[in-house]
Amino acid sequence: MPYHLFKCSECIPEREKHAVIKGPGETLADALPLGYLNTIPGSISERGCAYCGAKHVIGTPMKDVIHLSHGPVGCTYDTWQTKRYISDNDNFQLKYTFATDMKEKHIVFGAEKLLKQTIIDSFKAVPHIKHMTIYQTCASALIGDDINAIAQEVMEEMPGVDIFVCNSPGFGGPSQSGGHHKINIAWINQKVGTFEPEITSDYVINYVGEYNIQGDQEVMQDYFKRMGIQVLSTFTGNGSYDGLRGMHLAHLNVLECARSAEYICNELRQRYGTPRLDIDGFGFEPLGNSLRKIGLFFGIEDRAQTIIEEETARWKPELEWYKARLTGKKVCLWPGGSKLWHWAHVIHDEMGVDVVSVYTKFGHQGDMEKGIARCEEGALAIDDPNELEGLEAMDMLQPDIIFTGKRPGEVAKKVRVPYLNAHAYHNGPWKGFEGWVRFARDIYNAIYSPIHELSKLDISKDEIPTDKGFVTRRMLSDANLPDEVRNDPNLRPYTGKYDSLVDLRGKTYPTFEPQAVAV
Amino acid sequence: MACEIKEKERPGCINPIFTCQPAGAQFASIGIKECIGIVHGGQGCVMFVRLVFSQHFKESFEIASSSVHEDGAVFGACGRVEQAVDVLLMRYPDVKVVPIISTCSTEVIGDDIDGVVTKLNAGLLKEKYPDREVHLIPIHTPSFVGSMVSGYDVAVKDFVSHFATRTEPNGKLNLLTGWVNPGDVTELKHLVSAMGIDATVLFEIESFDAPLMPHGNHVAHGSTTMDDLRGTANAMGTIALNPYEGGRAAKYLQQEFDIPTIIGPTPIGIRNTDTFLKNLKTLTGKPIPESLVRERGIALDAITDLTHMFFADKRVAIYGNPDLVIGLAEFCLDLEMKPTLLLLGDDNPNYKTDPRIKALQENVDHDMEIVTNADFWELEDRIKNKGLELDLILGHSKGRFISIDYNIPMFRVGFPTYDRAGMHRHPVVGYAGATWLAEQMANTLFSDMEYKKNKEWVLNMW
Repeated sequence: MPYHLFKCSECIPEREKHAVIKGPGETLADALPLGYLNTIPGSISERGCAYCGAKHVIGTPMKDVIHLSHGPVGCTYDTWQTKRYISDNDNFQLKYTFATDMKEKHIVFGAEKLLKQTIIDSFKAVPHIKHMTIYQTCASALIGDDINAIAQEVMEEMPGVDIFVCNSPGFGGPSQSGGHHKINIAWINQKVGTFEPEITSDYVINYVGEYNIQGDQEVMQDYFKRMGIQVLSTFTGNGSYDGLRGMHLAHLNVLECARSAEYICNELRQRYGTPRLDIDGFGFEPLGNSLRKIGLFFGIEDRAQTIIEEETARWKPELEWYKARLTGKKVCLWPGGSKLWHWAHVIHDEMGVDVVSVYTKFGHQGDMEKGIARCEEGALAIDDPNELEGLEAMDMLQPDIIFTGKRPGEVAKKVRVPYLNAHAYHNGPWKGFEGWVRFARDIYNAIYSPIHELSKLDISKDEIPTDKGFVTRRMLSDANLPDEVRNDPNLRPYTGKYDSLVDLRGKTYPTFEPQAVAV
Repeated sequence: MACEIKEKERPGCINPIFTCQPAGAQFASIGIKECIGIVHGGQGCVMFVRLVFSQHFKESFEIASSSVHEDGAVFGACGRVEQAVDVLLMRYPDVKVVPIISTCSTEVIGDDIDGVVTKLNAGLLKEKYPDREVHLIPIHTPSFVGSMVSGYDVAVKDFVSHFATRTEPNGKLNLLTGWVNPGDVTELKHLVSAMGIDATVLFEIESFDAPLMPHGNHVAHGSTTMDDLRGTANAMGTIALNPYEGGRAAKYLQQEFDIPTIIGPTPIGIRNTDTFLKNLKTLTGKPIPESLVRERGIALDAITDLTHMFFADKRVAIYGNPDLVIGLAEFCLDLEMKPTLLLLGDDNPNYKTDPRIKALQENVDHDMEIVTNADFWELEDRIKNKGLELDLILGHSKGRFISIDYNIPMFRVGFPTYDRAGMHRHPVVGYAGATWLAEQMANTLFSDMEYKKNKEWVLNMW
């Protein structure tokens, strides 16, 4: 597994060990890219900062909380309306963001008074919200304001409110990942064990490392509820502050994104003895296995099995329709951290696409290890990629599609590679059985867009086809399909709604009698 | 009836209207050809600014970070700038202009970016890049001072003062557009060219609307050249359209090189565009051609269909960049509307003495509030708790939920406008901008009438 040095990075040889190509017959023991090291300045890396890792990735998806940043206004502005973590309380956390808006005089004389007044005013502005998270920024960290002390003071003066403080300034680590770690540890240290939510089931879980992007959490919660499992808290998408204070009461931590949230699971195991079960909401097989594992843990595999069978019967014919049309398409799987290994094997197995490259902006070596192990031979793996390397990779690999962020997606567009938003999704949710079909549908729609085809035509040089007034996706995707596949009566394209969540909210669930046995 | 200007009383901020200074400097930097800025601070200060630019323009722009980590914050991070400059120059052989843009963190720790530039000029650039023209330009934009608006203003001045060199008069006019869209630049260049004037436009950002071409990689980037910037010292005159976004550079050129200068007005609406053309005529002696009389007539013709029938007495709240907000408010008054609330998102003390704001205070005949250092809560609180009634909101996408939650129609204007398609392609300045603004405001009101069934039948015959 030779390291791969990009031409554009020959002048910065320390980049060599950040990329490898998975050669035939090679194992991870031959080479593994370095990960989570300091960024090379000036390389135009895609990384963010530790503040956003704490606040924007993990903190803000909490839905019933005033999210206040202590610093100048830019950090707050940046981490507001730049993600799609929705909630079932009318998206309070998407709509409102709070800042102390520190000015020069506060830098000079301190901003603790400003902080206190802003906390009080913020609670007054939205009186129905009784919880607050405060995020340190570079500026407030450097001037040394004691945020914890101010928070304590306010809590004493304003009974009924509760405040969490996360000290994760932007410079605190090579990437977002430093912030993930800090907020995990801060939460368990400050808040877990300070509230006792009502236990309503014999089977109680924390759903951890799930951020309800376009409704993922609500989809998964639906399965859990159908199994009679109480989701005591979700860390943190669509999660409530009090639920998360009660994490210590769960019987099991079900962990989705191990990159951003394994820390709190490990701490909960250490401190409260709660076991950790890693699961995967993406893909029929991994999701089915995950539900089965949870069922097995609680002794209710039959409930899991019923769901798997129902959902598979409903959605598998639609997934297969897409698989027939996506097989062999080349994908660059370029997300932020954990999706490279959540998706690498399963999009190959279940949608037929070939993963020709994986990259991670803030993943660690462990993420790369899993990702590389799961992707195709010949795949290029890149740690902390930068603008030029991304372009060189696309030129080298000629992918049919790339899964990445919004801005790198615009880069891909210019070299005529369609993109899907790996962080915020195009038309998600993508978790769950239906969600997985939606993902396949989005891939299909991107790859077979007739507009994409047009963008490759050079009207000044190429023969301009004049025989058609239009082209449909089907005309492109089915052109070379065998008749029996094209006309397979058992397969069909996606039949769900534009908003697949509408039927979930307000849904009623069967009640399972609590078992009399108490341990 | 009174028009009051006051600063937001609450400390802190609920839903910001502006972002901070480094974003403004970054916006200026992407307008210059062969220029990639290095933002000296944490990585988020770049990553998110590039994101919001890509949300607004649906394009990606190249800006680098010095990637200050914990060690830099503790021991000083000047070394990160030195390394960043070298890495950037090695990998981007065409880059010649490298602004070093400071942030709150590096200003607080006191990194001497001017000193680093001196050191690099004497060392790295001489030794490793002796045959390459490279300009390192320190730009101080601490995030706790001003806002993205002042950051832009500071950066334009720093770019101009770095390059402007007196040689021979070039017969050109300096046109400082302020923080505008590609569509605005197209319209401004059209007006100037119709007058037969050769202008240096700061900045040439029409190419921000980059094409998807069958071959090659056509990345969006501004095209103002170093020569354009040098030549600003040799111009016959300067017009800075937006006092708060380019005014500082215009004053510098006036003081340093005695260039005749007119600052303002923002040419939004018919009247301000008329003044702009008059100013062009004054500085260049060129007459206003018949073709512009005709264009003006087309705009007036379109607007006359709308004003007294649909716009009269409609109450409008406007927020965003100060020159834009003031220009829009003036235009709304010409359209018989009632701008009742103007929100300016920073604490610039000059707003209080701005002659345009004074004119509003002296002349508007309805109740009007102007709030400085404002956030979105100043708008929402008035609607939710204080009985403010509005017929229309004009502003950028960050205020979208107020429009959605309180059922007030909103026309997207300013920066950023990511929740509507293609807004950057259309001008709000000039006669074409006046037509676009009036017609889109009308269409926004029409859709709302239909959605709410509020005299929607009026449009049966119009």
